[in-house]
Amino acid sequence: MCASPLSFLRAGPPPPKVALLPDALFFSRAIPVAEGVTAAEAAGQVELALEAIAPFPLPQLYYGWYWVPGATHAFVYAAYRRRFTTEQTLAWQGAELVLPVSATLFGAKVEPATTVVLGMAEEMIAVYWETPAVPAKVLFRPVPAEATAEERGRIREELLHAMGGTKTVIDLAELPVAEPARNDRELGFRAGELVSRVSRATASSLDVRDKGDLALLRNAQQRDVLLWRLAVGCAAALLVLGLGEVALVGSRAWNQVRVTQVNARKSAVDKIKASAELANRIDQLVNNRLLPFEMIFLVAGDKQNKRKPDEIWFTRISTLPASGLYTLHVEAQTTNTALIPVYESQLKAMKELRDVKVSILPGQGDRFQLTVKFNPEMLKPAPSA
Amino acid sequence: MIRTLRAYFLSRLLREKLLLVALVAVGAVIWISSFSSRAGLLWRGQKVTTTELKDQDRWLRDRPRVEAAAQKAAAQLDPAKTLDGTRLFTTVRQLALDNGLRNITNNGLTPLGSNGQFSVNTLGVTITANDPNGEKNWESLTNFYKALQTRSPYVAIDQVILTPMRGNSGQLSLFLKVSSVEIH
Repeated sequence: MCASPLSFLRAGPPPPKVALLPDALFFSRAIPVAEGVTAAEAAGQVELALEAIAPFPLPQLYYGWYWVPGATHAFVYAAYRRRFTTEQTLAWQGAELVLPVSATLFGAKVEPATTVVLGMAEEMIAVYWETPAVPAKVLFRPVPAEATAEERGRIREELLHAMGGTKTVIDLAELPVAEPARNDRELGFRAGELVSRVSRATASSLDVRDKGDLALLRNAQQRDVLLWRLAVGCAAALLVLGLGEVALVGSRAWNQVRVTQVNARKSAVDKIKASAELANRIDQLVNNRLLPFEMIFLVAGDKQNKRKPDEIWFTRISTLPASGLYTLHVEAQTTNTALIPVYESQLKAMKELRDVKVSILPGQGDRFQLTVKFNPEMLKPAPSA
Repeated sequence: MIRTLRAYFLSRLLREKLLLVALVAVGAVIWISSFSSRAGLLWRGQKVTTTELKDQDRWLRDRPRVEAAAQKAAAQLDPAKTLDGTRLFTTVRQLALDNGLRNITNNGLTPLGSNGQFSVNTLGVTITANDPNGEKNWESLTNFYKALQTRSPYVAIDQVILTPMRGNSGQLSLFLKVSSVEIH
């Protein structure tokens, strides 16, 4: 199956730079750890035990340990700092991990009672697992440069014998090398077919350098990974934007086609709209007439039935298209303002009127506006002359 | 390739890493800003176009109904009695003169529109009733109005403004906006 095209965004880190130290310089032990403890508690127990068994105080040691959650023992290793020269320790500065050769194999998945024998030109290392989680013993034997195959075989047998109880033996002829990790949470080593993987947290306990310095180093690494992810995220955003630009060009062309279609149909549609408007207008002219004088007659009354008092006279009468066919706007003046409410109530009592509004013009107590709405059913055309 | 890039990136000095990230981030922000405004513009444009297309579809779909309604509306009128703009003014003027109103001003003709078969014309007219006898003015205007209404629906009143003349409340000024349908 093909990998996802975006899998490169999740690609793990490149192989770490690792400084491998000779096991000959380290003493190692399996140390019991209480069940159900956390990693921090296990570290405390390991350092306490190491202080008890080491001939030097911890600040004078390069030490590390291997422990996985749930394991009932940890495997520790330590070396006196003065056994390393300044040149050697300076060479560790660029390294992501500094540990004995044997520690690179601790994360291997092996059966119980397995011994891995790592045979190199001038040394031979054996790592023994009693239980699969954490190794129980590491032994080292120097191999003379001129040793024959028989002699090398004898040293191997001696190592296996020293381990005792070995049921499975895995021989490795080459040094484990760091391989690209699958993600940022683990480190991996490979020696032939044997693969050893450890989590980053476990790897930091494998490192023999000063734990305070290591904490700073890990923080810097985490910050760098964060920056890398940020950069990759931005680069991905740029990629998506690039695709977006292509989509934008396509969408613009698509919309242009639609705009052309709109323009092509515009004149035909405008004609239909004009027809509809005219039909509507004709219908209005035929069926709905504005009857302004009839409205005036009703509001003012006639000679026989005067409604408007003589003290009130109209200064402007108008209809507005926006107000519809049944609204009359009147501006009026009076010499007796007390008549305004009387006139208003008289109008409101008329069944032909639906609504009457009177508003006194601001600052002009004798001038007022009258807005009268008529009942369409009650408004009939006046008889013809 | 990504591992090589990552190894290259992680091997840079902190200031170089920060600079690289800042450059890429600033580039992304500028591009996003520009892209979003252009995309927004296009989005709004396509929405307007979609609305217009839908509106046009509706009108084109309604074309038979609209044309039928227009025919039906026009059929209510006798083509011989319909008035063009000039005849509309002449008619209004004649009715005014017939009722003793001599001061008539044409305020201009506004054709409302035409669909090729018929059109609607709108005319503004100001009539001044300035007989010294105030009661006669009102009577003349009323008679003129009644005469005008007999021409309905060929002449229709759209708007009325009635005001007394300045300085003489017996004299009246009537502004009328009238419309006529013209069948071609």
